[in-house]
Amino acid sequence: MKQLKNKLQLLFVVLISGFGYIVSCTHDNSFPPPQAPSGFVPTRGTNIHTPGSMTAGNINEWKLDKVHSSALWSTSYVAASGLLTGRFNQFGMHDVTTPKMLNYVTNGQPLLDSSWAFYEADPTKTYFNGYVQINTSNTGEPGRDAGCNVAGMGTTPIVAGTQNLTVTNLAKIQTTKVEYDLLSNDYIVTLNLTWQGKLAAPLTTSIVGKLKYVPKANVNGTYDVFGLQLKFQFNCRDYGITSTSIADKIDIECNMNFHNK
Amino acid sequence: MDQSFLEYLDLLELLLFFSGYPLIYLIVKSITETAWSKKVFKTNISNFLPLAYAITGVLYVGLQVKNLYPDFSSEHIQSAVQLPYLKLWALLSILFFIPALSKKIVISFLHSLVFFFFILKDLYFYLTGTLLLESVKNDMNIYSLSLLINFCAFVFMLITFLGVKKLRV
Repeated sequence: MKQLKNKLQLLFVVLISGFGYIVSCTHDNSFPPPQAPSGFVPTRGTNIHTPGSMTAGNINEWKLDKVHSSALWSTSYVAASGLLTGRFNQFGMHDVTTPKMLNYVTNGQPLLDSSWAFYEADPTKTYFNGYVQINTSNTGEPGRDAGCNVAGMGTTPIVAGTQNLTVTNLAKIQTTKVEYDLLSNDYIVTLNLTWQGKLAAPLTTSIVGKLKYVPKANVNGTYDVFGLQLKFQFNCRDYGITSTSIADKIDIECNMNFHNK
Repeated sequence: MDQSFLEYLDLLELLLFFSGYPLIYLIVKSITETAWSKKVFKTNISNFLPLAYAITGVLYVGLQVKNLYPDFSSEHIQSAVQLPYLKLWALLSILFFIPALSKKIVISFLHSLVFFFFILKDLYFYLTGTLLLESVKNDMNIYSLSLLINFCAFVFMLITFLGVKKLRV
């Protein structure tokens, strides 16, 4: 009888406690967690930009506005925490094949900037080629740019009035695949970077970068402009660069602006 | 600060230390009645319940002393202590260190039922719609901690007893 009484008491207390826990375990008054993102919804247009023959005055043919474009690089300066930055004064958007790797006696663009096409709504059709002249790297320090940088990058000094597109002075990129970025309106670009650096022969590595399209806009009702911004990284040690003043990783940012004047 | 809020906080302290004891008491009593318990412990382990309860009381007193420190003047005690009768009732738990009282195991159970009643009361008021769910949630959190405290106090007493017994052998 005493045992039964104990068990009944235990049952009563357990039931009360259990009821309390069940009641307090509800989430009636709790704020639900924020809804999980249902996926990025892109807002891309259908613009198509191609260079054609780059005929002046043809509004359907887009021209590289080199004066307002840039090819920038940056890397960590090993001896300090800050960045070492610079730009290439001479660059272009042409597929510089081996026969075209020459010295061009001109102060302007040596080759037509026409090796590209951009399809906003169909990245499979988008492609571009680009190049920079290594010896035109400009860090704002002439002593460095025309001095140790030349030997350090395995190239030759600038010759006035000449555009040096020879193999030792040329770094070029060529896209192999362009696809949508699923998390933004940008594009994911796979490209080949070819550069000799301090190696015995040019080396091509495949790199993934990000391309941003700055949509077409009209300027004062007279002409249109649009922009492409490409960002990628590469390891300069792959190309035999041994300088201990800079880090392995080099960031490249190409800001290309186009107009249809 | 609202006086009723201070009273509520003091009541939570009391529930924290004593409201879990009835369940621990009944579970231990049930275990004691099994043959397994008699074989393993070779003693009636429910005899330690009042002492474990008294230890919980000491811990509660310690908390009250800490709350009052460093001003133990009567004025400060009067202004700081809410629910004085209930607290006095809680302090009586220390009396279970007295062997004559600790032999009456069921008294410790009855003593702690006063605090368990507040849990019961809140559940009732919740069911009748006069208490918010948050209060019940709070009660059950406190109740869980109280179960833990009382269980630890009992285990402490049991280990102490078994240790002393082994040393004597």
